[in-house]
Amino acid sequence: MLMRRPGLNGILLPLLVLGIILLLIPLLGMAGYRLRLFSLIFMWVALAGCWNLMSGSTGYIDFGPVAYFGVGSYCTALFMIKGGFPFLLSIFITGWICAALSLVIGLSTLRLQGAYFAIATFAAAEALKQVVLESDRVLDIDFFGGAHGLTLPSPPSGIFFYYVMLFFMGLVVFLTAVIQKSKLGYGLRAIKDAEQAAELTGVPALQIKIRAYILSSSLIGCIGGVEAYWLTYIIPDDVFNVMRTIQMVIMTLLGGMGTLLGPVIGATFFTLISEFFGAKFVYDYLILVGLVIVVVILLMPQGIIGTLVKKRGKSSWLF
Amino acid sequence: MILFWQSLINGLLLGGIYAACSAGFSLAFGVMGVVNLSHGDFVMLGAFITYWIFILAGIDPFLTLPFTLLILFFLGFFLQRLTINRLVGSPPIMSYLLTFGFHLVLSNLALRAWTADFRTVQTSYSGLTISFAGLVIPYSRLATFIMAMAVILGLYFLLYRTETGRLIRATAQDREMAQLMGVKIFKIYTLTFALAAAITGLAGSLISFTFVIHPQMGLPFTITAFCVVVLGGMGYVPGTLWGGIILGLVESLATTYLTAGISVAITFFLLLIILVTRPQGILGKGVVE
Repeated sequence: MLMRRPGLNGILLPLLVLGIILLLIPLLGMAGYRLRLFSLIFMWVALAGCWNLMSGSTGYIDFGPVAYFGVGSYCTALFMIKGGFPFLLSIFITGWICAALSLVIGLSTLRLQGAYFAIATFAAAEALKQVVLESDRVLDIDFFGGAHGLTLPSPPSGIFFYYVMLFFMGLVVFLTAVIQKSKLGYGLRAIKDAEQAAELTGVPALQIKIRAYILSSSLIGCIGGVEAYWLTYIIPDDVFNVMRTIQMVIMTLLGGMGTLLGPVIGATFFTLISEFFGAKFVYDYLILVGLVIVVVILLMPQGIIGTLVKKRGKSSWLF
Repeated sequence: MILFWQSLINGLLLGGIYAACSAGFSLAFGVMGVVNLSHGDFVMLGAFITYWIFILAGIDPFLTLPFTLLILFFLGFFLQRLTINRLVGSPPIMSYLLTFGFHLVLSNLALRAWTADFRTVQTSYSGLTISFAGLVIPYSRLATFIMAMAVILGLYFLLYRTETGRLIRATAQDREMAQLMGVKIFKIYTLTFALAAAITGLAGSLISFTFVIHPQMGLPFTITAFCVVVLGGMGYVPGTLWGGIILGLVESLATTYLTAGISVAITFFLLLIILVTRPQGILGKGVVE
């Protein structure tokens, strides 16, 4: 049965109002830790949104998005340090490099299914991490800085990053909304429901998957570049850390996979609780995160939004 | 030339241990489709059980194996019975995340309890070696290799020569059909995961004889298991022997002739290439989705 999807209008106004409020907050004198926390939430909403764009809508579980985050961080850092490029230009080129890289990786891995795709993307991320970590020593050059990492030029104030992260969050949410209503979105959902049937009815499955993968990967790369400049110091073990992948997945799952607002709610909630746990229980933080994951999976496998949908007895892509 | 043969032997001995470490992973995937991301932590727990019994009670490490087997069997039993069985039929991502949650809890609890110190099991015979035509083989490595082979052989016999093994293989082949034929699949699942955890823990005990152990050693072993199992064919348990030995040889040769760090990168590229070109494993007997 063909379901009519509700229009964007119902949600457009509240989102717009929220966007304007977020734009104005720093001007009203928010600063320091709160500004930083908000920027952090925006970053994770954008990252989880990117993951959702690919994996949430196709059901292909990408276990290596951190590959692009790390490559993006290093590209931006290298362009700024070695090339002396301005920040925004570096980010722009970084996006294109990540797109090219994801085309190469996507073309080979997106033919795989299920656990095989997950393991292959995971392996790709770990392989890239090792290359960045080891090539200086093996080739005897001074380029990536090995395990010591790279230091970037000193960044502008926190407000700059607040707006850059807000921009990326807005962009990802906007793109997700547009794609869900577009032909590409229908193709992605068709792949999720029944890939073979979709292909038989003329959906170019591989091409569609690759388009979603490239879009998601290049945006993740750009965000990685922004974070590198924000923190001014990057090491392979941090920017390629598998925990970043897991966080994107958990946040999306917590909110609800394949929905527009799922990553927004999930990432906000998860960032807030990890800030709280991280500050209160420094040593037991990861144990608590593990327990939260187990409880969420067992008690609300549909995520926050999915659970709400069940309660209200409606089926829609938003609530 | 002697260096080449020596690294070949090292690789072979290493590969046997890798195979034993990964057989449980393959078993759980083959039967239930569960990619167990807490797999490496079972290795870590096995190693620490041996370590503590050896330190506190002074029992010879080889005699601690039954304890590890029993403790990990029950851990696997309860994890499967209480949690993973509830996810049967839901998308595979659920099992990845659930087991990653276990990984976080187990490895960080271990870190809290036992600190990040590096430890070794030092017995009176730890340093002894056999010399043969200029090649050096440590006794403990040889002994662990033989034990690892025994573990794999035991698993093989259990799966292919017993009634229980037949039930497990039937469930792996076709869950619904097995259920129709009267197989109690949830019991089989629980048994399978308990068995997988037990042999993985046993392999962990063996590892503590020759490797340095610490609470964060788990994740690298999970990744090793990925490689071994993909090389040998996902879900095809005897394939892990070949996968383990190939991985052991590649790592050992790459470490000798390049650096240890780049050998990890080579492992991942190998994994990627095999997945893309031959997902059913080198023997061609793995499960392909």
